[in-house]
Amino acid sequence: MALGRFLFKRVTQGVLVVWGVITVVFGLRFITPGSPINALAPLDATAETRQAIAAELGLNQPLHVQYGYYLLDLLRGDMGYSYIKGQEVAGLVLQRVPATVELAVAATVVAIALSIPLGVISATRRNEPVDYGATLFSLGGISTPNFWLGIMMILVLAVQFGIFHTSGRGVGFGDVLLSIVGSEPFLGTVLDWLRYITLPAIALGTYFTALVTRLTRSGMLDELGKGYVRAARAKGLPETLVRYKHALRNTLVPVVTVLGLQLGTLIGGAVITEAVFAWPGLGTLVIQSINVRDWPTLQGCLIIIGTSFVIVNLAVDLLYASLDPRVVYD
Amino acid sequence: MVSPRVLRNLKREFKRSALAKTGLVLVVVVVTVAIFAPFVAPHNPTAQDLDNRRQPPLGFSRTVETTSSEMVNGSIQLVERTEHVNATAAHPLGTDSLGRDMLSRVIYGARTSLLVGVLGTLLAAILGVSVGLSAGYYRGRVDDALMRFADVSLAFPSLVLAVALIGLWGRAAVPVPDPFVVFGLAPGMPATFTLPGTVIVVVGLVNWVWFARVARGEALSIREEEYIKAARAIGASDGRIIWRHVLPNATTPILVLGTIQIAAIILLESALSFLGFSGTTLSWGFDIAQGRDYLATSWWISTMPGLAIVVAVVGINLLGDLLRDALDPGIEGEGGL
Repeated sequence: MALGRFLFKRVTQGVLVVWGVITVVFGLRFITPGSPINALAPLDATAETRQAIAAELGLNQPLHVQYGYYLLDLLRGDMGYSYIKGQEVAGLVLQRVPATVELAVAATVVAIALSIPLGVISATRRNEPVDYGATLFSLGGISTPNFWLGIMMILVLAVQFGIFHTSGRGVGFGDVLLSIVGSEPFLGTVLDWLRYITLPAIALGTYFTALVTRLTRSGMLDELGKGYVRAARAKGLPETLVRYKHALRNTLVPVVTVLGLQLGTLIGGAVITEAVFAWPGLGTLVIQSINVRDWPTLQGCLIIIGTSFVIVNLAVDLLYASLDPRVVYD
Repeated sequence: MVSPRVLRNLKREFKRSALAKTGLVLVVVVVTVAIFAPFVAPHNPTAQDLDNRRQPPLGFSRTVETTSSEMVNGSIQLVERTEHVNATAAHPLGTDSLGRDMLSRVIYGARTSLLVGVLGTLLAAILGVSVGLSAGYYRGRVDDALMRFADVSLAFPSLVLAVALIGLWGRAAVPVPDPFVVFGLAPGMPATFTLPGTVIVVVGLVNWVWFARVARGEALSIREEEYIKAARAIGASDGRIIWRHVLPNATTPILVLGTIQIAAIILLESALSFLGFSGTTLSWGFDIAQGRDYLATSWWISTMPGLAIVVAVVGINLLGDLLRDALDPGIEGEGGL
């Protein structure tokens, strides 16, 4: 019952934040220098033409009416029209989502797969060479700009040794799934997919690998010194079980919190990683639309990014609650 | 503001930790180099030398394959030649695609990064701390409104928001006269230094929320202390209580966060100038971007400024770790890239 109420409350809060996101994005058009009419009207347009354009865009209506229509349109899935691309914004933006999600998920998988074991090993072998190595790695990882790391990997692993593709997304994860049932050879498709995604995923994931390694190490050190660990050891539990079942579980609680907070960093990092690897996702669309002053598309991207942040954070909260049964649902 | 106990802890931690000492050395080096750039830099960082383009750094050479038509035995033939461009001591880190000295560019780049890092953090701290302290002190509706607004802010990644704001506002660059050059102490160096104004404002605006969260948390607990009640009892105004009693007791975690934020903002600035949103061309991120076009033949153009970023940020992060260990306020979240 408590869980139901907790869910309801969090979802309501999430909806409010999304509403805030939309309002901020709506407001963006008013801090833009120049009216959208200038972008559309010919240079020698008469006052009548300009008024006609304003009327067509609904710009001659009072602000609250415009805002109302904006919300209604969004509810119907209409994010406006990109005059520069000559396309509906919703289609344009949604088409880019899978590439960014694929990149973000791959980076997260890389980060979690490396960092948690590394953090645990580092904590259990404190002040041994492996601990120093992990500490230096995580210090470097949080201090290295991901775009530079990407370029350095392109330089060595793609340009010099030709192991990976330098850029692009020739094969997506969808193609890998299709090759299971389709006529394309499965192994070849997987290998080619890996040659595209590995470098961007490492470039984006390194910061998180480093951050989570640090958090896991310090958390484990805390937990391993606590009474319940001594009790577990005293009753003869195997050390692996003590470490991974008891201590690690408690360590993960703060790790998950910080990961949730850092999610924005992951999405922001994706923007620049995409720029380095010419990855056809939301990030490249954001940069493109700013460079060509395509505000409707930029607004669409911002709404999708803000909303996905809220949704994933909701998921993180639920995960948090399931990791720590003491969390009070209110 | 900082108690003697805190200073003692700081000294003890510093003596104990080799990493902290390394951090201090790195930061001192970067700051000194940035301030005295006109004296430290061997060349004017913007002076082009087209005869010495893309010269490799010391210890390396670059092979150039040229094809030209020449008279050989009375007939015109295509001749292929392989030439080696060697490093010279004049350009220890090599030169870029316009023959500008990479070492001097890296040295001047430190100015941009540190100025944006420090000024951006200050702006974020002033905004965030004043909003956070008032929210935590007054609680109630002010607090609710702030926290909801902070939630909305957090939903936009700093980089995305910064890029969007700069895209909308343009890239203002403020030329600041370089005092050393103005007084004739460093002839031949650029007379003005370009401060990326919009970038500073924008990084402050996108990172204030971290300060607001920390300051609010502190204010929430400080407001329950006896001395606050005492101050209220003798009739001190809210403004005075916040300024004289709440703020001084909240400085420690704000300082720790501030250090981490300088590092985060330096990374953010490098990303912005890499994407071409900076407004200055003397910046580590900008040079990394211009080196991308020559990655296959002249790797050093992108590599050197990146190493400089890593050195600066590692140094600041090490100092941040030292502060955190000595003061241990338990700060959540780091922000930035």
